Amino acid sequence: MRLLWILLKKELRAFFVSPVAYVVLALVMVLSGYSFRAALSILERGPSEGSIVQWMFQPNWFWLSYFFVFPLLTMRLFAEEKKMGTFETLFTTPVRTWQVVLSKYLAAVLVYSVLWMPSWLNFKIVDWITAGQVIVPPGSLTGSYLILLAMGCFNLAIGCFASSLTSNQIIAAVISFTFSLLHFLGGLFIMVLGRKVSETFVDIINYFASMEHIRTFTSGLIDTRPLVYYSSLALLFLALTHQVVEFRRWKP
Amino acid sequence: MIDVQDLTKQYAGRVAVDRLTFQVDPGQIVGFLGPNGAGKSTTMRILSGYMPPTSGRARVNGHDVFHESLRVRESIGYMPETAPLYTDMRVKEYLRFRAELKGLSGRALGQRLGEVMDLCMISDVRRRLIGHLSKGYRQRVALADALLHKPPLLILDEPTNGLDPVQIRQVREILQNLKPAHTILLSTHILQEVEAVCDRVLMIHQGRILAHDTPDKLTRQLRAATLVQLELKGGGANLLTQLEALPNVRKATLDGEDAGWKRISLRVEARQDVREAVMNLASSERWQLREIHRQMPTLEDVFVELVASDRTR
Repeated sequence: MRLLWILLKKELRAFFVSPVAYVVLALVMVLSGYSFRAALSILERGPSEGSIVQWMFQPNWFWLSYFFVFPLLTMRLFAEEKKMGTFETLFTTPVRTWQVVLSKYLAAVLVYSVLWMPSWLNFKIVDWITAGQVIVPPGSLTGSYLILLAMGCFNLAIGCFASSLTSNQIIAAVISFTFSLLHFLGGLFIMVLGRKVSETFVDIINYFASMEHIRTFTSGLIDTRPLVYYSSLALLFLALTHQVVEFRRWKP
Repeated sequence: MIDVQDLTKQYAGRVAVDRLTFQVDPGQIVGFLGPNGAGKSTTMRILSGYMPPTSGRARVNGHDVFHESLRVRESIGYMPETAPLYTDMRVKEYLRFRAELKGLSGRALGQRLGEVMDLCMISDVRRRLIGHLSKGYRQRVALADALLHKPPLLILDEPTNGLDPVQIRQVREILQNLKPAHTILLSTHILQEVEAVCDRVLMIHQGRILAHDTPDKLTRQLRAATLVQLELKGGGANLLTQLEALPNVRKATLDGEDAGWKRISLRVEARQDVREAVMNLASSERWQLREIHRQMPTLEDVFVELVASDRTR
């Protein structure tokens, strides 16, 4: 536990002394700021169905650009240590592989969580300025940030895995971006097919369709199935990462 | 301290280390010697617990390097060849992080940091970014890192690589001062370094051990001829033949002449001393002798000879 904390501190420090965290933070603020502005302008047009939270989180372009965040946060984690040879010094101290993997992953998750603070403040500020006239449904808000966190955990685990595969950060970024995006688009494809396919097939697709999860959670419904889905996949990819890093020791 | 039995490591069909067997006793400084690609770094990586051997076993401080990897890592300080460091950290910050990883904390940690930085002469750069340091400083930061937790065994892969002559001498002094408390295995291909600091030499070539002995014994065993140089005045045209007539002298050559003083070198059978015979001859012939010097074979000669004989085998 002590070692995990030491490693985690070092990883967090690495995020904030390099420009990476700030660049990503700026990116996310622009993205969520623009989306928030769009949501407000819907309000200006007069009464309509839905809430400001839904309008903010439902546009597709928001989610497509959202996937740039993960490669930026994770590509460095393992690839850089491999390239610089610091794995050799790291793993000749009494640390266990899982402590290293978990510390890097947790650091990425923490930084990712920080990224969404400003957008959460946006809602609070609107609530405060309009003295509660614009309704920000608390259920929707909690649901939205919960699904953001769950999807983040999953995609960051993919990013960690991609980074552990190579010593080239660009390759790591491309692998993680491609995989995250493919998973997201796989869920969208039901929209293209429409209702021409059987109900069972739609159900299966909806089980991993991120857009469907977003719709449910932003409307304030907290469904445990996507949460279990994302967290178990995150665990799977972390376990894979662990195996890849550990492979050095088992290589014949 | 180190016990290696039949250690073999293969990379994709290429044998890097071939059935290595050797022991190192506590308190020794052992020079690990060999040409580039002889398997030095590979052996050291295995001993440090970073990679497993393909077959054979290695024990450090009584623990198996693979099965009890964590215990082994607690008792070694390892410095890889390229001295990899986190370039975005400051020197003191980096060493603090490493010390925490190695289990130091509180006041002991702060005190040890100061000691190690003084010992390795890096106190003046403690606030600098590692990425901005010169190669020599980085090398010493890596050495300081290896020393942090006072490990009983130090494994240093080419610790003086890339240092200037003054720094090399400083590092050697550091190593010699560590001697009673630490066992040191250091690899190098600079032979003077081994002669300067090591108690024992382990020579390897193409993954196999060529020799494992003290530097003195190794040079004494050398089969190649030794050289005796003299400077004398007097003697006629048959001077060289007279010298060659002495027992054990293979060949005498005149290297030069300076105001009547002739510089002559004698090639002498291995492990034979002809200086006394030369003195006797000079006094009976009434030559004036102003210098007589036996050139001891260096480890370099030993090394070249061993590698050559290994190739022909």
